[in-house]
Amino acid sequence: MQNTKMYTPAKQTKKTTGVLNNSSPRSMNNSVSGVPSSILVGGRNSILKRLERGHNRTPRKTARMLGSDGKEINPLAMFQAELGVVPSSAGRFFLGETFFSSGSDHMKSTSSFTVHSSSSFVGSSLQSNMSAIASLTNESEDSSQKLDIPINPPEVLKENDNIEQTVTEEMLDEVAEICLTETDTISLLDIPSSIFVTEDADDAGVIKEKNNQYAELCKNRIGNDNYLEESAQTFSGAPKDKHTQSDKIAKEDKGMIATTWDIYDSFFDQNKSPDNDKDDYTESSVGTSKDQEKSGEKSGSSSSYTVATDSTDRGSLFELEMCGRSLNTELDPQLILSESFRHSLFVMERIVVGKIFQPKLAAYRQLPILKDPDSTAKPGTEEQSEEGEESASSPSLEYLWAFSCELTKGCNITSMAWNKINPNILAVAYGDFDLSNCKPSLICCWSLKNPMWPERVFHCDSWVTSLDFSAINPSQLAVGMYDGTLAIYDVQRQNNNARIADSSKCSERHLHPVWQVNWIKEETLFLREGGAEALISVSADGRITMWSLLNNGLGGRDLMELKSTQNTKKKRKAAGTKTKTECFLSVLTRGLCLDIHPTDSCIYLVGTSEGLIHKCSLSNSQNVLETYQKDLCPVNHIEWSPFSSDVFLSCSSDQIQLWKQDYFTPVFSFTSTQEVVKTIRWSPNWPTIFAAIIGRQLEIWDLDSNILAPTIVHHAAPGVKLMSLLFTTGTDCVFLGDSDGQITVYQLKNLSVGKGEKVETLDDVIQHI
Amino acid sequence: MAEVEETLKRIQGQKGVQGIIIVNSEGIPIKTTLDYPSTVQYAGLIQQLVMMARSTVREIDPQNDLTFLRVRSKKNEIMIAPDKDYFLIVIQNPSD
Repeated sequence: MQNTKMYTPAKQTKKTTGVLNNSSPRSMNNSVSGVPSSILVGGRNSILKRLERGHNRTPRKTARMLGSDGKEINPLAMFQAELGVVPSSAGRFFLGETFFSSGSDHMKSTSSFTVHSSSSFVGSSLQSNMSAIASLTNESEDSSQKLDIPINPPEVLKENDNIEQTVTEEMLDEVAEICLTETDTISLLDIPSSIFVTEDADDAGVIKEKNNQYAELCKNRIGNDNYLEESAQTFSGAPKDKHTQSDKIAKEDKGMIATTWDIYDSFFDQNKSPDNDKDDYTESSVGTSKDQEKSGEKSGSSSSYTVATDSTDRGSLFELEMCGRSLNTELDPQLILSESFRHSLFVMERIVVGKIFQPKLAAYRQLPILKDPDSTAKPGTEEQSEEGEESASSPSLEYLWAFSCELTKGCNITSMAWNKINPNILAVAYGDFDLSNCKPSLICCWSLKNPMWPERVFHCDSWVTSLDFSAINPSQLAVGMYDGTLAIYDVQRQNNNARIADSSKCSERHLHPVWQVNWIKEETLFLREGGAEALISVSADGRITMWSLLNNGLGGRDLMELKSTQNTKKKRKAAGTKTKTECFLSVLTRGLCLDIHPTDSCIYLVGTSEGLIHKCSLSNSQNVLETYQKDLCPVNHIEWSPFSSDVFLSCSSDQIQLWKQDYFTPVFSFTSTQEVVKTIRWSPNWPTIFAAIIGRQLEIWDLDSNILAPTIVHHAAPGVKLMSLLFTTGTDCVFLGDSDGQITVYQLKNLSVGKGEKVETLDDVIQHI
Repeated sequence: MAEVEETLKRIQGQKGVQGIIIVNSEGIPIKTTLDYPSTVQYAGLIQQLVMMARSTVREIDPQNDLTFLRVRSKKNEIMIAPDKDYFLIVIQNPSD
């Protein structure tokens, strides 16, 4: 039965005074609510027995739980099995059911008591119990109105526990008085109001007032006539079994490793996706969109295979037979043409080639050559190379590799230039040496990392005569051509729009072949526009022109006109000139070469076809500062020494002359063979070394060791003419371009040169001459 | 497209190159110069290797990524250029 009271006292003290025949209509005060009534009979009895306050004689030791207010809040057991009353428990149940059907609480309680009293019959059989109970029941019929059950459980217990008694008729006929009283209300659970009212809330006072009122109400309720205690009983429905059936839940095991990068990616994508117009959701939608793309790729795959098979006609690569699987249409061209794929190919090519050339490149860069541990080099060749090395203690050139490809096979190399910023890039101009007919020529940019194929190939309309890379914009390559056009190429772009400016529409353009172009750093002179670099070109029409890159092309302005000298010498009316040879310049002569002073960029030297070398200044466009002349042969090349600022070399048809700036006769002339000296170059690494192409051989001169004969002489291969020459800074290698389209790289070996004392060495040498 | 073909041809023609395989993101070889069984074998195995290598690199620093992988063995060298859409695999013999 359920008590209407909120409080569920787990313990009760029951007074044992009371009369069975008390028939007050009050409901039971012994509230043992919460216990199902069918079991209540026995249970209550046992509880009545056990939970007697102050009596510790619990037949069964149970853990006593104390609430916060110190009261025992043992949860009520559904069924208590106890010593001494176990045999009759079954009977109790039965009894409970019997009396439950009657629906009368007090009947139950009385009967429970009677049962209890019969519990003293330890060992009595069930049958006897039943009979005893039945008789008692009959007896207590008249006490149906009885509400209170007087109990004297502890005393009875004592008796029961200690003494076994047999139930006698006399005992049964005794009238036992039972008195039940109600215990004080035991508070088991008190949850204070969790609405914490702050002191300064607006309605704090009101709430407090209400709280107080309620507290008063609770207090007043006890003993108040307005409040009536009623019990209510809820029906507990009979349980019923119901079976259902469902589909088997398919389980799948899924394992996942959360890697650091996975977490990073998801996080990153999640942060990115709000910015994306398509995905407004979290990464789940990002994931689904990716899947959709993937499936889209998968679905369209068949046609790409067909595209791939078409390309077999070209015979380029063997195509894979993918039977039974559809390939992607859109994927293959997309993939092949994608930027990253090209980049990968590019890198791969370099690496593959790099593997092949690794020893040579290492030698070039003066790194230790790593011997391939798994290479199958024959021991014979190894010994041979070792011997070769030992014997070559004299200076020599060692062949490293050659730049060549099919594209350039058989072409003449006309000019080569290093990139000023990136030491790996070399620009080479190829052209056919046909003066009558200007055939289109090629400019190739080679990279040292890939000697098999040039990085860039540009086609030019006319034969290129000179190249120079800009120092400030390292991707700009100035090209001088045979038809007088000057062009600037941007090597970062691809072939079609690489030419960013040319002088073909300029009014100051040259009408004759441009023989040399040089970039010059411009600090002093005012340029029309643009940065601090300008282009100087010398051309066969006798003009030296300075060009600057404007928005709409090149703009040129004449710096100097090279006037030819007459045989008759007349007095010059020049102020402050120091020319010793007085000349009257009238007709323009062809300028062949040009070199700008390495430190003072206002001074430059020009060599003419008449054998004159003029030293000019940018600021002075009327007169040359000085003129040097040795003979009347055209000066093919002039170069300032990179180490000594007043020394320069010039070469003409059969001689190489070493000049000092203030002397008007050459300090020394070098001759070895009587052939035309095509070009000369100073070595940028050592002050006393220069190289020259004389006839069909390459000569390396070392002024420190021998000034009468070249130190190294290298003959060209038969049938091949040597055309062009370049030194490399930082390493001891020489690049030689020949008429077969090959640029061969040689390493200078065993040159006994000291690395220090640069300028002084050259000056000393000159003084000794 | 032609340029790409040319580059592939050049690589193939280099000294010591045994084969080139291009594998797409699903592990299917789309272009190869080797025979089919070897190609499939390479593609499958190398894909796993690249995943592992990439995972390793990114595990240490998620902002890093694998750009190139070279596997040097006794008999040859396998060079792999991985990307999220494809693998480019070149097998080359060591230079003699």
